[in-house]
Amino acid sequence: MKKEKVRRLISASAMLFPLLLTVAILTSLVLKALPIISLKSLPTLIFSSAWQPQKGHFGLWPFILGTLWVTITAFILAAPVAIFTSIYLAEYAPGKLKKILAPGLDLLAGLPSVIYGLWGILLIVPFISKYLAPLFSSYGSGYSILAAGIVLAVMILPTIINISVEVLNSVPTELKEAALALGATKFEVIYYVAMKKARPGLIAACALGLSRAFGETIAVMMVVGNVPEVPHTLFSPAYPLPALLANNYGEMLSIPGYDSILNFAALLLLLIVLIFSLMSRLYLNRLKRRS
Amino acid sequence: MDTAWEKAKFKRPKRKIIDSLFRLAAFSSAVLVVVILTLILMTILIRSLPALKLSMIIRTPGTGYYLGHEGGILNAIVGSLELISGATLIAFIIALPGVIYLNTYLKKNSPFSEAVRFSLDVLWGIPSIVYGVFGFLLMLAWHLRASLLAGMVTVALVELPILSRAMDETIRMVPSEIKEAAYSLGASRWQTAIRVILRQAFPGIITAVLIALGRGLGDAASVLFTAGYTDRLTTSLFQPVATLPLAIFFQLNSPYPEVQQRAYASAAILTFLILLISLVIRFFSRKLSRHKIK
Amino acid sequence: MVERGRLSLRNLNVYYGRNQVLKNINLDIPKNSLTVIIGPSGCGKTTLLKCFNRLLDEIEEARVEGQVIVDDQNIYDPGVEVTLIRKKMGLLSQRPQVLPMSIYDNVAFGPRLLGQKDKSYLNPLVEKYLRLAGLWEEVKNRLNEPANRLSIGQQQRLCLARGLAVEPEIILGDEPTSALDPQSSRNVEAHLLSLKTNYTIVLVTHILRQAKRLADYVAFLYLGELIEFGPASEVLVSPRDPRTRAYITGEIS
Repeated sequence: MKKEKVRRLISASAMLFPLLLTVAILTSLVLKALPIISLKSLPTLIFSSAWQPQKGHFGLWPFILGTLWVTITAFILAAPVAIFTSIYLAEYAPGKLKKILAPGLDLLAGLPSVIYGLWGILLIVPFISKYLAPLFSSYGSGYSILAAGIVLAVMILPTIINISVEVLNSVPTELKEAALALGATKFEVIYYVAMKKARPGLIAACALGLSRAFGETIAVMMVVGNVPEVPHTLFSPAYPLPALLANNYGEMLSIPGYDSILNFAALLLLLIVLIFSLMSRLYLNRLKRRS
Repeated sequence: MDTAWEKAKFKRPKRKIIDSLFRLAAFSSAVLVVVILTLILMTILIRSLPALKLSMIIRTPGTGYYLGHEGGILNAIVGSLELISGATLIAFIIALPGVIYLNTYLKKNSPFSEAVRFSLDVLWGIPSIVYGVFGFLLMLAWHLRASLLAGMVTVALVELPILSRAMDETIRMVPSEIKEAAYSLGASRWQTAIRVILRQAFPGIITAVLIALGRGLGDAASVLFTAGYTDRLTTSLFQPVATLPLAIFFQLNSPYPEVQQRAYASAAILTFLILLISLVIRFFSRKLSRHKIK
Repeated sequence: MVERGRLSLRNLNVYYGRNQVLKNINLDIPKNSLTVIIGPSGCGKTTLLKCFNRLLDEIEEARVEGQVIVDDQNIYDPGVEVTLIRKKMGLLSQRPQVLPMSIYDNVAFGPRLLGQKDKSYLNPLVEKYLRLAGLWEEVKNRLNEPANRLSIGQQQRLCLARGLAVEPEIILGDEPTSALDPQSSRNVEAHLLSLKTNYTIVLVTHILRQAKRLADYVAFLYLGELIEFGPASEVLVSPRDPRTRAYITGEIS
């Protein structure tokens, strides 16, 4: 009986570990970020575009904008293609084709970001600088928001597709048949019935893709140019928050405040993820209660 | 009755056109995805071929390696394997009892399990660069330098939510009848968990571990400041360790084309390892669906 | 003038991959009557029903040979507009499949597909068919609630109303009462009986007593073959084929 108690205690604390870890990460980042927050005001840190650490200017706005631009570009490029593809795979594709494609998608969902970044450097960046940007009379290295957006979009495609296909497959065949039996075309069945039934799942899949794009570091920093300026067009380089951390964290001890501002940047990333998770949890709970 | 009928005739072409356009859009998206995905694999493969020699995987970097001289990336291959096996072990040791507790001791919708699952969701979404930052802070607090140990701990934290959620899902799928049958035979909760549930969920757990391994293998951002980098093989927990993603990253930044080509070759090696893992996962998940009680 | 609501099968064979599930079936289903298809499970009843409105098209490995003639037209002829064929037939499935939308929208779904968006046309239509399915009084004050809040028996009657709203000539039912409680079953049965003067109804069931209660004509299907077809009074009371007799007396099931 005593053994059972010990086991219970150990496994209970293991269960609580994720909870404690979340709190630990949050507190340690808050503590490390406090010095710079108390030194400058929060709005200055967030909304100022002056980034000159040597002179004590720590405005994160260019980095925040960079993150937003890149994430949103990736999402806009990826979501429609991913949803259409999953519709094709779930509703139209012959069984054999699905069997061939599934392992490919799995592999690509598991490919490390450095591989995607490499592909971006080899293919996307030159493509943008040589062919795409000149069309819009913009000339540059190709290392740009668009490059990062495309690479990220491709990266999150398999994630969104895999989940969406699963969600669409879970719509009962009988329900689709019921709609077909009323004389609906395939499009009408998919659009008015299957996608409506699967909507929470499809939204969850997209949210997952969005959050993956948001936090991606290596692939983005390889192709985005890393210039700390407010971006103007899709062909401008940018410098998203994760890239800022990756390039500078750990080597920042000599400049006063630098260490704290980088921790603040990490805290920002964490808070955005936290808010995002909370919102999607609330949304899902509301759906659950309604049905 | 006839009005609807007339309208039906009138509307039919438009409905048919929309239907075909939709199908076309779905089909072309799928083609686009396939083309892109093939393009990635082909690009990596073709560009890596010139540098893909046996010496890449059986030698460590020699002197002047980063100037284009002899050597390989054995240090990074071995380092990555050391790092992810340690990290996955740590993550597994924490995740397994936690998941068992969630599924056997707690009631289905207790606020506790809700909170834990939510925190797993949050952890799952935290970018790995933030784990890197947190790992670095831990290192400072424990007076460690960038080392295999620090890298392992950090990657373990990255893997924990992935592992826990995947295991939670498979264990939750074990039918409650099986649990109840075991309880009714007088088995304690722990015995039930170990003997019955784990056996039932075994392929799923293996899959979860493999997924975590794959994620750990590919993650670069979390080890950027915690694992360091070395050209030698790592033989102690307190030495820095090289990893494949960082090997690719560093070689790519070299101005020498020979070294860049080795980056492509390293990428091909990494892709191959990921492919291997994903094939094993397929194998196990096929097993999983075969044993599933419907 | 084409006689509407007639359904005939000519040399119908259906294969799933290499398995032949329906073997050379010839059958004329009389109009404005209720025909019940009986037979042990796995005999191809549901497949037969799915041939009538070409839902078999959705099954990748299914292959159909022969003719299904509705209103003097073979619906498997190339060039036939499938959606219009399906519109001619209402379908009730084993479990009621309400669409993920309001009660009102469920009934209006079919007419709206045909381009009918006019509320002044739809409102009376929805009421008419909800009345016909015996649901109007129960739902008239909550037409905009999601349909899945209805009880399962109400859902099945909603599916009936929804099927009627596309103005079909034929109603197909695949064991439509199997998921319902006895009370709701009786209710659905009563409505089917009252509908048969205007519609041709084909029901699949494995409940013999239901067949006795409802059927004008009975078809007995066994291992993919049509063994016997005739008026209910003959097939159910004095079957000619020994296999039919065995099934009716409960020796095979």
